[in-house]
Amino acid sequence: MIEVRGLYKRHGTLEVLRDVSFSVERGKVAAVIGPSGSGKSTLLRCINGLERFERGEVRVGELVLVPDASSRAGAAVLAAVRKKVGFVFQQFNLFPHLDVLGNIIEAPVHVLGKSRKEAEADAEQLLARVDLSAKTRAFPHQLSGGQQQRVAIARALAMHPDVLLFDEPTSALDPLMASEVMSVISSLAKAGQTMVVVTHQLGLVRAVADTVHVFAEATRVEHGPTESVFAEPQHETTRAFLRKLAEW
Amino acid sequence: MVAHPRRPTPPLAALVVASFVLLLARPVRAAVRFEGLLRPNELVWCGDQEGGGPYVYPADDDPNRVIGFEVDLADRIGGALGLKASFSQGQWDKMPELLRTRKCDIVLNGYEWMPSRLESMEASIPYYIYGLQLLARSDGDVKRWVDLERPASAGPRKIGVLVGSAAEQYLTQHLGGRVEIVSYDGSTDAMREVETRKLDATLQDTPAAIFYRSRFAALSFVGQPVGRGYYVVYARKGATQLVRAVNEGLADLIRSGKIETLYRSYGIWDDSQRELVTLADAGRFYGYPPTSLAPQDPATPAAGPSIALSAKKHGFDVVLAYGLVLLQSAGLTVVLSCLSFPIAVTLGLLVALGRLYGPRFLKVPLGVYVEFLRGTPVMLQLYFIFFFLPEVGINVPAFWTAIVGLSVNYSAYESEIYRAGLLAVPRGQMEAALALGMSRPLALRRIIVPQAVRIVIPPVVNDFIALFKDTSVCSVVTLVELTKRFSVLSQSTQATAELMIMTGVLYLAMSYPLSVMARRLELGLARVSA
Repeated sequence: MIEVRGLYKRHGTLEVLRDVSFSVERGKVAAVIGPSGSGKSTLLRCINGLERFERGEVRVGELVLVPDASSRAGAAVLAAVRKKVGFVFQQFNLFPHLDVLGNIIEAPVHVLGKSRKEAEADAEQLLARVDLSAKTRAFPHQLSGGQQQRVAIARALAMHPDVLLFDEPTSALDPLMASEVMSVISSLAKAGQTMVVVTHQLGLVRAVADTVHVFAEATRVEHGPTESVFAEPQHETTRAFLRKLAEW
Repeated sequence: MVAHPRRPTPPLAALVVASFVLLLARPVRAAVRFEGLLRPNELVWCGDQEGGGPYVYPADDDPNRVIGFEVDLADRIGGALGLKASFSQGQWDKMPELLRTRKCDIVLNGYEWMPSRLESMEASIPYYIYGLQLLARSDGDVKRWVDLERPASAGPRKIGVLVGSAAEQYLTQHLGGRVEIVSYDGSTDAMREVETRKLDATLQDTPAAIFYRSRFAALSFVGQPVGRGYYVVYARKGATQLVRAVNEGLADLIRSGKIETLYRSYGIWDDSQRELVTLADAGRFYGYPPTSLAPQDPATPAAGPSIALSAKKHGFDVVLAYGLVLLQSAGLTVVLSCLSFPIAVTLGLLVALGRLYGPRFLKVPLGVYVEFLRGTPVMLQLYFIFFFLPEVGINVPAFWTAIVGLSVNYSAYESEIYRAGLLAVPRGQMEAALALGMSRPLALRRIIVPQAVRIVIPPVVNDFIALFKDTSVCSVVTLVELTKRFSVLSQSTQATAELMIMTGVLYLAMSYPLSVMARRLELGLARVSA
């Protein structure tokens, strides 16, 4: 489903991604872990074109993102990729001037050209899925962080993306609210949604991830099926990381 | 006179009929086509009501109507030319520009004959011979002209004059450096300041001094008038045919004694006016061709009605008399603001979007646009549109000049506010919109701009209130909005305190509801987007 090859990116002289390869198959969930600043979030942002990169390629289904996306053709590919790839932010980024329903139907109506009625019916279903049917008409500031993040997930799902990317979806939440969000992500995984989850939450990784990819110092240092990586971590970073998180 | 088509040698009978017709036609003058009249069959003459009586000032019973000896004179000159005289309000010091840019046909408003003005305008023969009368407090120590100079230790005397007037020139020439000359926009301002002891004296054209004498009981005339000069009608450079016809009309009024009757009714006739007849009979004035009329014996003037200044109104009487006309002018202020501000806001938003998100080549010109408009006064910009653009063939009427000038000027400020507002929307909002597959323009329209608009409401409303008050600069382009109306009425009635309070209340009545509305809007939106 997603195939990243030889991805290289830098900010000035600072290398942010060094020849990173990464892939996830349809219907599978990949978890990306590693210390802060190791390039996990940047990888995620490169996959849906929020960040440019200097070398390598990103393949989403049939679509290929290349370093120079500024051309007309590049822009068209970018637009197509973003329709296929949903993104959930650490800070939710709900639209504060729209209510919950407005947030969810915004893109289906204005990007996909769905009728309002159709979009609203779909939104009601999605809200039921994230257990927020009662909050249809609430505005974001009236919701708790966990509720906001679940709305954000529903908003991403409303585009019926092939892949859903999560950028530390629970980091801004207290444990109780984090567990609400984690259970939503788990149920999506059970339903067969292809996902890439960047997280520090080991519980979430164990619950949903088919594969784990460990990042350190701008590159992927270890990857494999979740159980084997957790059982027999090969790389020092992985071991240290697991130790540290276990102490929490 | 009309040029008659040349005919082949006519038979005798036809000749007789023709001369008979000509004789009959003589008293009733046919409308003559003059070069470049603004409107056919109309003589548009420019004056400033703010100058006050007895020249052109608002009528007591209907402040929308102007009266004054120049109004009567214009009507009579118009009649002589077979044209309907129509008054056009203009700022006194801008009249040469108004003439040059074809906003009027003639200037008839106490404009002195000056050699320097002949370079840009054509002058008629004089219609009034004025002097400069010094006025001081009766109980003060200025009793003679020589009292104006006092030892340096006491500091120079302060003398008030009308800005740009002959009185100002006279003082600069004769007492420059030894007295302090203070300029005012209207003649009665200076007279009031003498009464309230802020000035030691004021030098006024004789008509104003005579006319307002009764209003300023504490003042008395000091010495005889000095610096005799001539009021003339000015027309556009090259309009010699019009000037010649005006001269003939004036000469006729002067010789028939009609002008004396007119001036006597305003109490401004004096012996020096007799020179008008001599000048008219000479038929020449500073190089202009003689009139076609032969000299006549001066007629004895008929007695006319006397037009004196009515008693000064006080208190509630002022409200009754001028409330409505002030309200009407407030209406113009509202219309100007409410039309120009939405344009300014829209333009400002587009400029801000262009600068932040537009193509690279737009950024420099838009930056220049903003800096240029912010960095120059709105008055200058209005002046540019009204007085300069006609030079390159773009003639914008006064009202639309004000709308364009105000909205373009304010768009610069609004664009800066919007820029700040757009930058204050968190980056994550644009990223979230893009991640949902929105194009940049769609994300701006649906997500970023609606949030920026909410952020900028307080400063934008603040600017709207500021614009309300800035509409007062539109008087430079001949519009009489609230502030100008206040000045005009205050000059002619001296009921300054009452008028000031009414004007203030009207401005407040316009801006306060706006503030309240803005606060409600702000609270309502804050509830939504906190």
